[in-house]
Amino acid sequence: MSAANGAPNAATRDDPPSDEARASVRSVARVLARCLRLLAPLRNHLLLLCAGFAGLTLLLVPPSLLFLDLIWTRALQGEPLPELHAWLLRLDPAVSVHVDALSAELRRSVARRTIAGAVGVTALVAPAAMGLWYYQVWILQRLNQLLRMELIERFQNLSLRFHSEARVGDAIYRLTQDSAMVTSLVEVLLLTPAYTIGGYLLSVGLIATVDPRMALLLIAAWVPPLVASLVFSTPMRVGFRAARAANAALTARIQEGVVGIRTLKAYGAEAREQAVFEQASRDAFAAAFSARQRFALYAILIFAGVSTVLAAAAAWGALETSREAEVFAVRLFAATGLGAWNLGLFQWFRSRFGDGTNQLRRLFRTWGRAQDISIGLARVFEILDLAPEVVDAPDAIAVDGVRHGLTFRSVGFQYQDDRPALESIHLEVPVGGITAVVGPTGAGKSTLLALALRLFDPDRGAVELDGVDLRRLRLTDLRRAVAIALQENLLFGTTIRENIRYAVPDASDEAVRAAARIACADEFIEQLPLGYDTPLGERGSKLSTGQRQRLSLARAVLKDAPILLLDEPTASLDADTESRVFGQLAVWGRDRAILLVTHRLSTVRHAQRIAVLHHGQLVESGTHDDLMALGDGAYWRLVRADASEGPEG
Amino acid sequence: MSDGAVQTLSRALRFVAPLRGRVLVKMALLVASVLPLVLVPWPGKIVIDHVIEGLPLDPATYPFFVRPFAAWIAGGSVVEILLWTLAVQLVLLASVGAFGASGRERDEADAWLAGGHDTQTRTENEANAGFSLAGGVLGFLDLRYTMRLTQDLNHHFRSVLFQRLQALPMRTFDDERIGDAVYRVMIDTPSITTACWRILLTPIGAPAAIGIAAAALYFGYGEHPALMWAALGALPIALFATLPFAGALRRRSVDSREAGALTTSTAEEGLSQVLAVQSLGGGARERGRFDRDSWRGFGAYRAVLRTGMAAFLLGLLPGGLLASWAFLYTIDLVIAGTLSRGDFLVVFAYFTQAAFAALSLGTLWFELQGAAAGLSRVFRLLDLPSEADVAGAGTLAPILGEVRYEHVSYRHGDGTLAVDGVSFSARLGELVALVGPAGAGKTTLAHLLPRYLEPSAGCVRIDGVDTASVSLASLRGQVSYVFQETWLFDGSIEENLRLGAPDASAEQLARALRLARAEEFVTQLPQGLATRVGRGGSQFSVGQRQRLAIARALVRDTPILILDEPTSALDPETEQALVGSLREAGRGRLVLVIAHRLSTIRSADRILFLESGRLLEEGTHAELAARPAGAYRRFLELAHRAVP
Repeated sequence: MSAANGAPNAATRDDPPSDEARASVRSVARVLARCLRLLAPLRNHLLLLCAGFAGLTLLLVPPSLLFLDLIWTRALQGEPLPELHAWLLRLDPAVSVHVDALSAELRRSVARRTIAGAVGVTALVAPAAMGLWYYQVWILQRLNQLLRMELIERFQNLSLRFHSEARVGDAIYRLTQDSAMVTSLVEVLLLTPAYTIGGYLLSVGLIATVDPRMALLLIAAWVPPLVASLVFSTPMRVGFRAARAANAALTARIQEGVVGIRTLKAYGAEAREQAVFEQASRDAFAAAFSARQRFALYAILIFAGVSTVLAAAAAWGALETSREAEVFAVRLFAATGLGAWNLGLFQWFRSRFGDGTNQLRRLFRTWGRAQDISIGLARVFEILDLAPEVVDAPDAIAVDGVRHGLTFRSVGFQYQDDRPALESIHLEVPVGGITAVVGPTGAGKSTLLALALRLFDPDRGAVELDGVDLRRLRLTDLRRAVAIALQENLLFGTTIRENIRYAVPDASDEAVRAAARIACADEFIEQLPLGYDTPLGERGSKLSTGQRQRLSLARAVLKDAPILLLDEPTASLDADTESRVFGQLAVWGRDRAILLVTHRLSTVRHAQRIAVLHHGQLVESGTHDDLMALGDGAYWRLVRADASEGPEG
Repeated sequence: MSDGAVQTLSRALRFVAPLRGRVLVKMALLVASVLPLVLVPWPGKIVIDHVIEGLPLDPATYPFFVRPFAAWIAGGSVVEILLWTLAVQLVLLASVGAFGASGRERDEADAWLAGGHDTQTRTENEANAGFSLAGGVLGFLDLRYTMRLTQDLNHHFRSVLFQRLQALPMRTFDDERIGDAVYRVMIDTPSITTACWRILLTPIGAPAAIGIAAAALYFGYGEHPALMWAALGALPIALFATLPFAGALRRRSVDSREAGALTTSTAEEGLSQVLAVQSLGGGARERGRFDRDSWRGFGAYRAVLRTGMAAFLLGLLPGGLLASWAFLYTIDLVIAGTLSRGDFLVVFAYFTQAAFAALSLGTLWFELQGAAAGLSRVFRLLDLPSEADVAGAGTLAPILGEVRYEHVSYRHGDGTLAVDGVSFSARLGELVALVGPAGAGKTTLAHLLPRYLEPSAGCVRIDGVDTASVSLASLRGQVSYVFQETWLFDGSIEENLRLGAPDASAEQLARALRLARAEEFVTQLPQGLATRVGRGGSQFSVGQRQRLAIARALVRDTPILILDEPTSALDPETEQALVGSLREAGRGRLVLVIAHRLSTIRSADRILFLESGRLLEEGTHAELAARPAGAYRRFLELAHRAVP
């Protein structure tokens, strides 16, 4: 027990308590405010739901009072019935109302009729309550769905600078686990408080009609849970945050272990990976343990606190009943014949007071859970708050065909670290054939393509399409005008056909085949038993690298865009296939602008223009012959290194 | 319940076996936490009979476990009796968290946090389930004990699953979606909590609570045995009223989990392919796909809920009838003057207790069905054939001489022959190039050496020993393989380099980096070897990643090194330098290179030329290039034509 008590205190000392304490109220409030915006589309459903629950609760107040009175005071004690009771139970007032006491037979009759009535009411109310609950689940799921969609959209729109840092596993965790928190949040921060506070106020009001002093006691029942919350909110928050971070790290760990499985096996690192996983798993459990036991202790203390008040109130009520004290709102109760404390009223008072304290207990337990939820949501909002770096200008221009081509004008760019990737690049990529950019590994070639696609914006200078800065164009139009095939082949786990027509979902089979022919992909596809309908594994892992490259090339060709960007699209093809691919691309691309970046000189044979990139700078440009004529230039050196490869030496 | 579910659950129980001592303690705690409930209703009776109604207190009318207290307060004033009773209630409250007659006045400690309304988000609660049937001090201690126990069980279970994931043959992952694997480890494994605790603990806790209530009724009201039998009757009613729904619930539970896995998988694919999605304008479509999958997951969960609700409503019927009968029976006893009104309260309290316990037993089937669904997904994965050593596998001695392929063939699952009767040998000290057009079977042939694949026919011998007869660990410990698509994990460069050789010295790392031509760019990084590489190595260009992967292989210093197109992303200058270093590094070992680049091929000691899975020609570059109508020469001519 001492260890258990020590844990929260130790945590309080470790962390700046005042900040965290303020944060707990503030962040819950802030998160709630953000959620209200998400609630807007579901407002009417929520109002209807609350109205349903409120109606049901109020409807049940008179029957519950009546039931306890009939059982305890009338059936068990044999007191004569008030007129109302007799009428409701269809009993003759002559023998049930205007007598000193009920006969044993009549008491049994009262009991039977009361129970029958209660069964009838339950049969009506239970399905209605379940229906409302189901409705609530539907509303909360709908909300969760809306948030998930907002998250995934944001993930897609964030620039690549973000994605190079983040882990996919972490993102998935945020998307599914953390976004589900919004559901809980609405349930926990909005619906539960609405129900519990409503129920609590109802109890206070009803008890005030019996004895206002006891209503004050019910209000005083706030004190113990409030004290517990003050003490526990901060340690719980600290614990929940650690638990979530540990769990996200574990998910990322698993994801990575699965993605890299081939390498892990090849290097005999399975045992070590297993050890790392088990450590991550243990860390996650340890963090969860420490957070959850704080929450459990908090909940136990709240129950003990409010229950002590309830026990005291019940003892007080028993004394009042023993001396048959008059109730406060005599007139209100007179109609029902309940002017003074009796056994039925005592039972009703006890259950009403118990309901009030129980609502308080729920409310404060909810507060404890809210600490967890507000952290989960803070992580979700962290993503939602990341502004996408690339956004449309307010007066963005539509792209309407491409006449001249792309121009890089004094473009400079650097990644988050300080190494400049590109420096004052001037480059024309006109319509009509292939413009090749060659250069050694790491010269900045791929960055050039990313800028043309506007995955990033340049830090200096501008990239222009037909003389218009890309930043002034509508992003969707720009991306529609550009097709791309990359060195790394991103395929989806659908069929080959679906992959090829990814960008043009309604393309005809004929168009798919034509594109595959240009990319020399038809030859291997047609040899597959299922041909174009062959399903690919995750990331197309059933195919060889060269085959995947040709598929992504076919996909880019099928898009039929005026601009085609190629990043080492044939690095894994043998020379013969590569040569055929480029021969066909050159013909296909006569009325388009094709920008090819490569380090393989074999591929630039079909290029109309060649530019040489070195350490982020454009050092030479011209046709193959122009550049060779420069003598001892950068291009010349590259060619010489490559040319020593001829079959004869 | 179906046979499959029974089998799954009994298999789950085997994972508890190592924890059985602690489970027994938990069972004892369970009984200990329901035992005090026997005392809870009596203060209510004392208040009604002796405080409110002022009846005289005769200790003899009380059962033995209340009699001492009744004797203690007998003869006191109304206020004294009331205060002593209140004191007892507060003691019960602090120790076990229960003090009143109704179920609401009882605390059952738990640490259940809010989850979303789908199967997936509820599992974290399951993985960390701590609970007790009591509150107060006892409840808290019980909860801590249980939570530790649950976590240890889950930790063990998911570690076993993760280990199995790693032991699967590589080809298994071609079809399994990655998101699905993550889902199984994180989402499906916690089902074992529900399965095991419900099977082991509910049948003890619920009957104990019902039994205690029945026993108390027997000791308190032995002259009316019907009361005891009514309490015991709750048990069969709860158990069998809901049974007819079990099958439907299991089917829907399976649907719900599978829909959840699909959502994760869609998200995984969409996020890891963000570049393709953005550049191809597929964002809206990916979102649509996710939207659909995700909503389907929610719908499947609601179907589970509907079935559960229907079962609950129908289960209410027999239970309600029994309760009504017992209620009326007791009232009649009061009216007849046999029992007091306080007794009515006590009987009512014990019935409530029994009903609550029965309710938890009644949902047993449902929760077991859901848990069985999750577990059967885990077990399906555990049952996939894993890479295993043959019985009595030997250890491969340090490789001294040669590798020999003897009539090796490999057939894919779909029947196509990837490697067709290939025989060759290669000695340590050689640099051998595997050459041939795309799809010739080069990579498959190389995969057969470290047994990533097992030959369909023929065998691979090292120093005369069939590799199939030695342990995988001893074989792979002597082969380093650099894959075509490099994978770096998200740690520092140094951690990546040490993947296969944790104890490598700093000099070894430096040498490997130098030989792989990675030294220049690594030393330029502000944090050098400590630089974090980012997801999948995304901080670096493809060429840089390839060089790091080669360095990682060199650090291992194994007799055999296999490079699968190691230089496809390098420029010619870097590549030539790298090939030079490979020659240097290859002294005393066998380097097997799959290559398209002529410069690499030319520097090989020997070339194996493959086409359509067959070894067509073998020899040095000069020999093969000199054959007038040779396949290699034809291949070279095409390649040469491609060079400007």
